[in-house]
Amino acid sequence: MTSFLQASRADLNRCLDENATSMWSKLQAVRRNEGLQAVLVYRFGRMLDSKKKHVLLWPLAAVGWGVYALAALVMRRGYGIKVSLSADIGAGFWIGHFGGIEVLNCRLAERCSVGQQTKVGRAEQIDGPEIGHSVWIGAHARIFGPVKVGAHATIAPGARVTKDVPSHSLIVGDPGRIVSRRYDNSHILPRI
Amino acid sequence: MLRFPDGAGVLRCTLLAFRSPGLLVLTIQRTGHYYLDRRNRGGWKLAVLGLKIFLAFARWLALIIAKSDVDARTVIAGGVYLSDAGHLIIGPHSIGKGTLIHERVTIGVSAAGAGPPTIGENVWIGPDCVVYGDSRLGNGVTVLPGTVLSMSVPDNAVVGGNPGGIVRFDFDNSQLRRSLAYNINRESLAFL
Repeated sequence: MTSFLQASRADLNRCLDENATSMWSKLQAVRRNEGLQAVLVYRFGRMLDSKKKHVLLWPLAAVGWGVYALAALVMRRGYGIKVSLSADIGAGFWIGHFGGIEVLNCRLAERCSVGQQTKVGRAEQIDGPEIGHSVWIGAHARIFGPVKVGAHATIAPGARVTKDVPSHSLIVGDPGRIVSRRYDNSHILPRI
Repeated sequence: MLRFPDGAGVLRCTLLAFRSPGLLVLTIQRTGHYYLDRRNRGGWKLAVLGLKIFLAFARWLALIIAKSDVDARTVIAGGVYLSDAGHLIIGPHSIGKGTLIHERVTIGVSAAGAGPPTIGENVWIGPDCVVYGDSRLGNGVTVLPGTVLSMSVPDNAVVGGNPGGIVRFDFDNSQLRRSLAYNINRESLAFL
């Protein structure tokens, strides 16, 4: 389990250019990317969640939960990005665009990417999908139920995943069909 | 114009323009397009700067109210209808006149590197559609709801399915474009 700061830095690096290191460029990246804002709010919520055992921090945590609730409300109602705390997301998560994104009751490993209108996991299903690292999930894709998606898999826009997906494969269509078993998605991930 | 009921006065039209998120997004996009044009031509430095600051807020407004993002570089002809329900992430090369786009539609570049598509005149695009890649939708094309399309389509064709394909050639969609309803009745599409 990586710490809050490490994970947030990895998320930020996904949105930055190769040679942009100044504080100003980082602030601009946060301002421009609504997805990054939502991920940072999620990281903050997970950090508060992990500090629940520390009784001495409770007064501070109460303020933190208030801030989190307000920010999460803006993300959910304003931006349409719903990243629930029930999702376990690895460092370097990237959300492209906004609107209709739901990520809940699932496990995502490091460096995953998600597009707009994507639904990963259902509210009524506790055992959600398990997704490996460096997986690209395109816009309008849906992944429901206890399926396993291998590392470096690519889920094309609009695909619906119903079965387990081996690593390095490309899934297209509704219901999802494996088109290629050796698809290199390193060039479509925004930044590795 | 589709939005304005027959016999609506100037006042009623103005009120509708302020109330309709689709028109708001379209207006902001046209302002953004004008800004890019003005900036490229040079001169008018202060006005261009003011427009830039205004557009930063306007983009945020379009995001909160309509959850839409329409690329400012897109050339949009007159008489285009964008859905009031929003969730549009569209950035094609150009959109022809008389085109009707319903909600939750993504049109844009392919993550794998292909450029944006070109939308012709009098195209009808249903809800939940994804059109991506360097393709061209001809004039009078009908894109059925839930289509995921990444190929060029000839004039007056009907495309559907996920992954998308041509369902029928030579279909007149003027009946569809006349109303805002998107639940297609079986009579108008007897071949389905």
